[in-house]
Amino acid sequence: MSRYIATRAIRGANALVGEAEAMLEQALSEKGPDTPVAFPNTAYHLPVIFGMTGKEIAHLGELPEILVQARSLLHPTPSREHWTPYLGETLDSGMATLLAAETIEAIRYVYGLQPESMPGFELAGGTSFTSPDMNGGGNQPPNGHLNGAIDDIQLRSWGIQLVDGRMPGFAAIVGCASSNEAAVQIVRELQRRNILCFLSGNVNGHSIIDQLHEEGVELGYDTYTVPFGTDTISAIYALGFATRSALTFGGLKGGQPREILNYNKDRVFAFVLALGEVDDLKYSAAAGAINFGFPVIADTVIPQILPTGITTYEHVVSMPWNEIDGANDTEKAERLVQKCIEVRGVKVRVANVPVPVPYGSAFEGEVVRKADMRAEFGGRDSRCFEYLKMAKLDELTDGKIEVIGRGLSDVPDQGSMDMAILIEVAGRQMEQDFEPVLERQIHYFVNGASGIQHIGQRDITWIRLSTKAAEAGFDMEHFGKILHARFHSDFGAIVDKVQVTIITEPEEVEARLEEARAAYDFRNKRLADLTDTAVDEFYSCTLCQSFAPNHVCIVSPERLGLCGAYNWLDCKASFSINPTGPNQPIKLGRIIDPVRGYWEGTNAYARIGSHGVVEEVAMYSIMENPMTACGCFECIMMLIPEANGVMVVSREDTSMTPAGMTFSTLAGMAGGGIQTPGVMGVGKYYLISPKFISADGGFKRVVWMSSVLKDGMAEELKMVAEREGDAELIDRVADERSVTTVEELLPWLEENGHPALTMDPII
Amino acid sequence: MPVEIPKDSWPGSVNTVTLGATGDQGGSRTSTVTIGGEQSLPFMHFENPTPHRPVIAMEVAAARPADWSAVLLEAWGSTLDDPAVWARACEDAGADLIVLQFGLKGSDDGPVSAEFAVEVVKEVMDSTGLPLVVLGPGQAEIDNSILVPIADATKGERIVLGLCEEGNYRTIVAAAMANDHLVLGKTPMDVNLAKQLNILMTDMGLPLDRIVMDPTTGALGYGIEYGYSVMERLRLAALQGDAMTQLPMLVTPGVETWKTKESKVGAGIPDEWGEWAERGVNWETLTAVALIEAGADVVVLRHPQSLVRVRAAIAELTASETA
Repeated sequence: MSRYIATRAIRGANALVGEAEAMLEQALSEKGPDTPVAFPNTAYHLPVIFGMTGKEIAHLGELPEILVQARSLLHPTPSREHWTPYLGETLDSGMATLLAAETIEAIRYVYGLQPESMPGFELAGGTSFTSPDMNGGGNQPPNGHLNGAIDDIQLRSWGIQLVDGRMPGFAAIVGCASSNEAAVQIVRELQRRNILCFLSGNVNGHSIIDQLHEEGVELGYDTYTVPFGTDTISAIYALGFATRSALTFGGLKGGQPREILNYNKDRVFAFVLALGEVDDLKYSAAAGAINFGFPVIADTVIPQILPTGITTYEHVVSMPWNEIDGANDTEKAERLVQKCIEVRGVKVRVANVPVPVPYGSAFEGEVVRKADMRAEFGGRDSRCFEYLKMAKLDELTDGKIEVIGRGLSDVPDQGSMDMAILIEVAGRQMEQDFEPVLERQIHYFVNGASGIQHIGQRDITWIRLSTKAAEAGFDMEHFGKILHARFHSDFGAIVDKVQVTIITEPEEVEARLEEARAAYDFRNKRLADLTDTAVDEFYSCTLCQSFAPNHVCIVSPERLGLCGAYNWLDCKASFSINPTGPNQPIKLGRIIDPVRGYWEGTNAYARIGSHGVVEEVAMYSIMENPMTACGCFECIMMLIPEANGVMVVSREDTSMTPAGMTFSTLAGMAGGGIQTPGVMGVGKYYLISPKFISADGGFKRVVWMSSVLKDGMAEELKMVAEREGDAELIDRVADERSVTTVEELLPWLEENGHPALTMDPII
Repeated sequence: MPVEIPKDSWPGSVNTVTLGATGDQGGSRTSTVTIGGEQSLPFMHFENPTPHRPVIAMEVAAARPADWSAVLLEAWGSTLDDPAVWARACEDAGADLIVLQFGLKGSDDGPVSAEFAVEVVKEVMDSTGLPLVVLGPGQAEIDNSILVPIADATKGERIVLGLCEEGNYRTIVAAAMANDHLVLGKTPMDVNLAKQLNILMTDMGLPLDRIVMDPTTGALGYGIEYGYSVMERLRLAALQGDAMTQLPMLVTPGVETWKTKESKVGAGIPDEWGEWAERGVNWETLTAVALIEAGADVVVLRHPQSLVRVRAAIAELTASETA
């Protein structure tokens, strides 16, 4: 906490409470205690006072007790000599300021001083008043004054959109921008993102409201830009709006301050944008906003409060206008607004994928044949790769899509071109480990566009673009647009900014490919280092409980889900995106048996997840409490007692196995969430894990496996053989080409010297 | 020889939910309907009495339905042209609740609009005193566009608003919370998805006694066993104490059965299928009764004769409790 800010906020609060007291005293003597006080068209009384204290103020005579409460929240300014904690004092002062400010506005309504008059001003829709003076008579638009407090009708319309996310948040803009042009651009940038703007305050008598008015910007409900008043005190209406949101849509009652403030912190994505010089009163009002979890961003040099605490992220951030990078006010405004969004954690939605061709998952399987092809990237004649990396929030401009090199028009019909798709993402919740998880989505995202075919990944990517798509106007930049939109819509929980660079310039592609390959390599090593002993939680996967109600997968770094689609990192990312979803962290707790793979946490979860059907699960054994299976397994493993080992049958293998059953017959035994020692469904990459049935002897127990596995994973299996100390190991494993019965199996294994025959009995 | 009936004792129970509000309670209904509260599997009265019998809701379409079976068109006749008249007829026929179903069309075949929707709801509320369930066409954006204004226009009536699904639950829940209504959460036949939606809805602050869930079901011969099994598992979990499954269930056998070939087609079918209208009513009745035995608290029906038969079945199932 900055002592400077604390001092000024506390000083400002003291002054305002004093001012309110003086005003109230005068009003009581002039108008009497029975004079009604109210904001127009609201059922929430004076909303901040009602929310924070539960008091339903209806008359002037009830206000003194509010100011007594406000005064009790005041503190002396921090000492210059002695350090004391002053966060609490500052927040108290902020709250006192809000109570005082609302009292002042209520008194002003009594005197007809609110809404603030502004001759010649026309509201583009606004709160209506019962007084004909205020409404301009008849059906005329309300003219000659600003809006003042927001009425309940508008609150309902906007509040629901704030709660359900259609409206990402609101900006309480206080002060005056460095120029009229800057004011216009800032508001435009906010409007463009559907963020509601509340305007108040001034600097040396000039307000952002004046600035926008001078520039002919329409202000009012209709333009989502509401002019409250030209002083800082009128900013209280923003917090009245926030309080009423919590009361209306959060099921909360007046007098639940803690719940109301938390509701706003968690659900109403608002922030204060302080433009121009920040005086004592603005500091104290800002301290009031921080109580709601609304951070403050200033376009001038002020001390910052960066640690997280009351707000979700930073409390006070300074971004001096003249130091913002940008060629013009538009670019500067964009940066400033981006910063606000970032500091508050506002989630901006991208509704549609802006491409000139139909888009949807229905097009994912589409094939573009050579004859229908406009151009291709990758494949035989060109290189194509994709690489997604994490960047820092301030390094990226969200939505920026850059194409470096030739465009589609430079490619001959049915020709090819090198292409690199570089995606940089940043987000508060983003982790480097999520890079490959997100990168793998490119395949689905790009394929969703009609007329685009995407195959492969990393540096074996191969993309085809159909003539029809090209004729419809699909160009290189649209790859970026798709990715920007989809990463926001599908991964908004972890991704705040997405920037895409499409490179077709061959030398540049080459250079970037080196970088990407280094990253791929790094990730491979990272995955290899990611062992079960290196983490303290595994993940559950209950995705398949819809048809196997009592099955639960426990996914560890060294044992991926049996479907092959979810590894530990996928589950981790899935949990970040969807905290109530099917992948929940399982805290391991005490290890019970490191060999078979029992932890207190995994056993406890197995019981809960299987609804009591499974008592214990051994992570590394097929013989004792093996993990259950739904039915989605890539492979089925089964004990062959005669051979002292196991066989592994691939889903793609329809031939007879030494167990006397084909895959489909075996599937009936392995699936359904039943624990059957000696039978297990697994993902094929589990075969190469060092933890592959390690309690039972590991890979050397495999006496038979479908040839499709041997061929498809030849490289990986070779490494397993080396790890097991027998380079010929895979050749000693039988497959359906050599053996289909158990009678044939034994002599074959003996002939080929399979190690299982001399291992300890598996049973 | 006396036979000892084994009794289960469950730690959990289903939430009690009251639909509709009378004049005293801030609404305008002449009666309210209370559902839920079960402490045992359905009709295990020797363990615990059935606290609230399953109730029967009749479906009323906001605009004359274009795709309903001729059997239904004949049964209801011209009442189908006016939802208010139709709702009144349902009340007279003995329905406990009205489910007002909006489609994509409004008046004069135009797209359904907020004004049309509010007007129809008001007309229906004027003609019947029964509590209401109001359902949008099931497309998140359109549901939002009509349910929010309906909620605003009927504050305090404790209407059940639906469909509240993963894609729009925030909007519907917020509208319900702002106007003292209830919501119907619908998920596609999956225990975990149902639980997840319930978690998300309650996380917004909506009390559990204002949520009813539709776990989705199928008609007899068209996946009823799948739906039955999901309902059964939800109810077992509820009785075992899982708070996020302890919601009363509303299911729609009317919608499901009247789109099957057996109920919809009257010509070019084998003689042994029997008389068309009888077959349709049987299909709806059997489906509804099976779902009631799976734990349904509300069944939504279409044919007036099914109402009579399902009512009789409920009476039989609870006969020993009332004797």
